[in-house]
Amino acid sequence: MNALPDNVKQAIAGWLQSGEIELFIGYEASSLPLQATPAFVRKAEDLDRLIWDATCENNLVSFLKQFRGKKVGLMVKGCDARALVGLMREGQLVRDNLRIVGVCCLGVVDAKRVAAAAGQAVEELDGRVTGTDVLTADQHLALSSVMHATCAACRHHNPEIYDILIGEPVADADDDPFDDIRAVEALGSAERWARFEHELSKCNLCFACRNVCPFCYCNTCFADKTMPRWFTATAEPKDIQFYQIIRTFHLAGRCVGCNACSRACPQGVDLRTMLDKLRLDVWELYQDDAGVNPQGHPPLTTYREDDDNSFVL
Amino acid sequence: MSDAWEPKILAFLCNWCSYAGADLAGTSRIQYPPNVRVIRVPCSGRVNPIFIVEALRQGADGVLVSGCHPGDCHYLAGNYYARRRFALLQRYLEYLGVEPGRVQFSWVSASEGARFAEVVTQVTESVRALGPSTKLNINALKEQV
Repeated sequence: MNALPDNVKQAIAGWLQSGEIELFIGYEASSLPLQATPAFVRKAEDLDRLIWDATCENNLVSFLKQFRGKKVGLMVKGCDARALVGLMREGQLVRDNLRIVGVCCLGVVDAKRVAAAAGQAVEELDGRVTGTDVLTADQHLALSSVMHATCAACRHHNPEIYDILIGEPVADADDDPFDDIRAVEALGSAERWARFEHELSKCNLCFACRNVCPFCYCNTCFADKTMPRWFTATAEPKDIQFYQIIRTFHLAGRCVGCNACSRACPQGVDLRTMLDKLRLDVWELYQDDAGVNPQGHPPLTTYREDDDNSFVL
Repeated sequence: MSDAWEPKILAFLCNWCSYAGADLAGTSRIQYPPNVRVIRVPCSGRVNPIFIVEALRQGADGVLVSGCHPGDCHYLAGNYYARRRFALLQRYLEYLGVEPGRVQFSWVSASEGARFAEVVTQVTESVRALGPSTKLNINALKEQV
């Protein structure tokens, strides 16, 4: 567990004291092993609580919907920074109101994988992280072997926007980020349905995916609407499929692939291969990648006369 | 019972083009399959993707959305916005494993009564070939019992 570097702490203290921000959102150690917890700091003297290491899995951008119009500082990993950019493009955030501490990230630990490797329950783990090593009571694991599956697929280790950067930029793989999506596409229709049905059979409608999503900022989600009532939370798989299809489709052209939803899911539902399909299609059809350009329009709020028409009868 | 099965197709038709095209097919006495249930919408851009998924959930075997030809939208660009949403939705549903052909889109103008009949015939036959919809269909379980 690493305290923040002194120059970063001084900068945040300066922002808080000058009133440039009224709140800084970072990470602190939690009571759970290998999982940091979000920390909300309003006074410079509390900055010593803050940490940065591979246990900081949350996307803190998701909290900004609770602080609309406020001047806030926060820590962002590469994936999280893309969410900031996407929200700016949607007019939800103003850059001037933000002070951003970017961190170059090598991936974050999946405590469940460590627990599996150690043969213990997550709560029983005696684990800590030093750099890219994950140490348990009697094991020494490489971070790459126990990080979240979403981090293994990450192509955005370094933040695109920041005021101060922690760490040295990490090289991103330049291979096809959607190769696993193309592998699913290559399956037969029935196989894909079986796969989808199986994944969503794990879902128990806890709504963690929605609650952590930086882009799920609707005042009333369609799932909660009563006039009309689109959705009723039941154990019926078809109700769950309906919710997941609609929620993910609402992110078409908006999802930046931060994968906070997949990491937050207590049931391990593979939401990434659903959302990445939408990201792949948006890229193929409209050459748009949310999370790159804070200007411009999300692809579903604009059009071109020569857009693909081949699917129309 | 299975001999009597006929596909149920829900059609969202825009008020200005496709609905008028359907009307023209009717007044011209052009025959087309009676499997389609029409919902008139002001514009294809009014069709929320949730309507389409909900239709499949409620037991439609197929969904057709039809609007004005690109460039002819009464609201200038509603069908252009719709086209982007539908392109993504169709690819997405097929990716998840919904059979290709359950959800289809067309452009039919107010003067294309014969074309409307052709589209409905084509959609009905392709959905008939797919058989009853069971994926997403909340009634499918009850019908099996």
